[in-house]
Amino acid sequence: MTAKRILMGNEAIAFGAMKAGLQVASGYPGTPSTEVMETIASHASKYGIYAEWATNEKVALETAVGAAYSGANTLVTMKQVGLNVASDPLMSLSYIGVKGSLVILVSDDPGPHSSQTEQDTRAFGHFSNIPVLDPSTPQEAYDMAKLAFKLSHEMEIPVILRTTTRVSHGCADVVTEDIEQADRDIEGYVKEPRWTIFPKLTAQRHPWLEDLQVRLSDRFSDLFSENTFNSITKGNSRIGIASSGVSSLYAKEAIKDHSETLSHFKVATIYPFPEKAALEFLSDITDLIVIEELDPYLEEQFLQLIGKHHLNVNVYGKKKGHFPVSGEYDVDAVIDGVNSSLQAMNTDFPLLNHSTPVVARENIPPLPVRPPTFCAGCMHRTVFYAFKKAAAKLKKENGKGTVFSGDIGCYTLGNAQPLNMVDTCLCMGAGISMAAGLSHTQQYQDGNYAKQVAFIGDSTFFHSGIAAMISAVYNNADITLAVLDNRTTAMTGHQPHPGIGLTAMGKPTKAIDIAEVLRSCGVELVETIGADDLGECINMAKKAIEYEGPSAVVFKGKCVGITKATGQYVIDEDKCTGCNFCVSQLGCPAIFSMSSGIPQIQDNCTGCSLCAQVCPSDAIVLREVLQ
Amino acid sequence: MKFDILIAGVGGQGVVLASRLLATAAIDAGYHVATAETIGMAQREGSVTSHVRIGDEVCGSLIPAGNADLIIGLEPAEAARNIHFLSKDGSIVVNEHAVIPSASANNTEYIPEQVIEFLKENCQETINVDFTQLAKEAGTYRAANVAMLAAAAGADLLPFDPDELWSVLEKMVPEKYRELNRKAFDMSLEKVSDIRRA
Ligand code: SF4
Ligand code: SF4
Repeated sequence: MTAKRILMGNEAIAFGAMKAGLQVASGYPGTPSTEVMETIASHASKYGIYAEWATNEKVALETAVGAAYSGANTLVTMKQVGLNVASDPLMSLSYIGVKGSLVILVSDDPGPHSSQTEQDTRAFGHFSNIPVLDPSTPQEAYDMAKLAFKLSHEMEIPVILRTTTRVSHGCADVVTEDIEQADRDIEGYVKEPRWTIFPKLTAQRHPWLEDLQVRLSDRFSDLFSENTFNSITKGNSRIGIASSGVSSLYAKEAIKDHSETLSHFKVATIYPFPEKAALEFLSDITDLIVIEELDPYLEEQFLQLIGKHHLNVNVYGKKKGHFPVSGEYDVDAVIDGVNSSLQAMNTDFPLLNHSTPVVARENIPPLPVRPPTFCAGCMHRTVFYAFKKAAAKLKKENGKGTVFSGDIGCYTLGNAQPLNMVDTCLCMGAGISMAAGLSHTQQYQDGNYAKQVAFIGDSTFFHSGIAAMISAVYNNADITLAVLDNRTTAMTGHQPHPGIGLTAMGKPTKAIDIAEVLRSCGVELVETIGADDLGECINMAKKAIEYEGPSAVVFKGKCVGITKATGQYVIDEDKCTGCNFCVSQLGCPAIFSMSSGIPQIQDNCTGCSLCAQVCPSDAIVLREVLQ
Repeated sequence: MKFDILIAGVGGQGVVLASRLLATAAIDAGYHVATAETIGMAQREGSVTSHVRIGDEVCGSLIPAGNADLIIGLEPAEAARNIHFLSKDGSIVVNEHAVIPSASANNTEYIPEQVIEFLKENCQETINVDFTQLAKEAGTYRAANVAMLAAAAGADLLPFDPDELWSVLEKMVPEKYRELNRKAFDMSLEKVSDIRRA
């Protein structure tokens, strides 16, 4: 039975995987990939699947690999930067392959909307010799999830299903099929030398791996004639368009009035490049426009092919500057790129038209900007502010400054004004290691800095903080660690983690105590404190910074995304002097002030009382108190 | 048939839920639909938008500039920020209730009334009501998104009618909030019919 329902691309992938017989799934949350695992976890018991959040992407992949070696159908999920963490096992895995099946869902983020990089997983597929499927809609994501499992099983290789934000986080009507219970009957692990990577085995397998690329390329070429995800539509001119992923849809819409003239090569099985089909497509093309987000991957494949076969085809894409090399595309960007290519082409083909908006973007009057910031009442605001105050005190007392190393999560927003508390931020876990590195510089040894302070969230601590902390202690780094423990993985939508005591499937489990872990890592001063009382937080921050040797404070508090508001604060107009201290110091999105007059507190106040604690005139009070 | 709706607001205002509701209603009415939503870092009190494309053909989820048939602005400045998406004969439903960003030093001064004026000057068919206030009267300011969808349906600005929309809402809103949402929905319907009559 099939049914049509509205699904987010990520949900569609989960359903596709479950339909394909998924048995074991592991992942680490990362926007825009998270909902795949969330959907699987919420259906896991119903279909007899095992699903988990691993501590990081490397662990997630290795877990799936283990299960796959036993013959299970497995899935691992992550975002593009997560793939970097998992790249170590990945690169070796391509030589060995799997039994059962292993699909690696990686979500890219052109734009980027929520990421440190705009990296292109298609290139990673190429680099690691692992086939990549690149769907353009939630429906294709569903269908290609199934294809990925099939391919993986058939060829005994891992397969990457790569999405971009617009596919992962777009919703659409998707036709899905009934899902059966996952089959529990797997062969089990059978000892074989093929599962132990060793130089000799690598040397043996490399030719197989290279040959596999050729076979897959042919296989993908054949898929064009079946006209499924890959398709060729022939036009009657000698101008062709090639596209991949969601850009295929933008291209289709941009050229909709010219579909009889322009040929279109839409490739969804993106790596290995379907060479035979591409050659066939090029046979009556003289000018090729390549439309793709992120890297010029498709363009390079075409250029290579054209060179290899001495074809007389001009290629218009990113390399000659017709399309942007970064950022997200849309129909308008594609129209501009196509027009720029047409102009360079010396053709009488008409330029494509944009629709005329009522007001052009340039003519919108200046509006207030709204940079992302901590939610009203977020515990992180209190902790960052406490460290800011403590550092200022120490600076006064002994003249030494402080460097604050941030990390990845909601608390990256500690960089926002007016807190401005993130001096470095690189990738997950790097805050600790970088603080350690900074502490070993001569400048620090000479006493020019008070202490290096690193901030990390609870989930990130487990992801990659522990190893960094062990290294810091072992190497005598004099750093202070602030763990911002709000009892959830907040940025990606509140997943549990090892500190919570709940698994992805909602089963109770052992909770790992962060403070205990820190003690066992050899940190001498480890304190745990609630994040409600600003004064206490300042004292604790100061104590930890002043301590000689590695120190750590675990701040426990609330994420307002999952907790209830405790009340609302208001400004007592009689007492407020209009100093605006609350606004200028904290940046809480619930308080604002117009150019003149006293500040006001909006509905989204959750009652954390931080503003009341900083108000020099005691003018901020609980609403009930004032009434 | 093609109908493009852009929903704009501030993180936490319920933009994503509004877009899911419209998408579901569109499927129930037998159309293809594609949405693009803002999720993640930018949601934290930032400007968020959701594109909802309803039609007979599958297409990309991002609305091209100048193509939106309707802008639903949960916040005035956010509606204005996205007005370049509106087509020549599109309409706007906008919440008069402004969410003022926490003052950072060199931000543009925000005068919501001026922004509403700007919208009305550029779009004949602009419905502006303080939907947050209306929702508060119904029971919670959080239902402003539902009230705005009701207004759009009530004013005939959607490809489905208020009853079709409500039957989706009924399924999607958790039981304990249902009555409250129904109240906001009805109050809003009444409000637009008053505006229409006037
Ligand atoms: S979601 Fe939670 S952790 Fe993130 S900014 Fe909001 S309150 Fe803070
Ligand atoms: S109490 Fe003050 S700081 Fe806390 S959420 Fe409300 S307005 Fe913001």
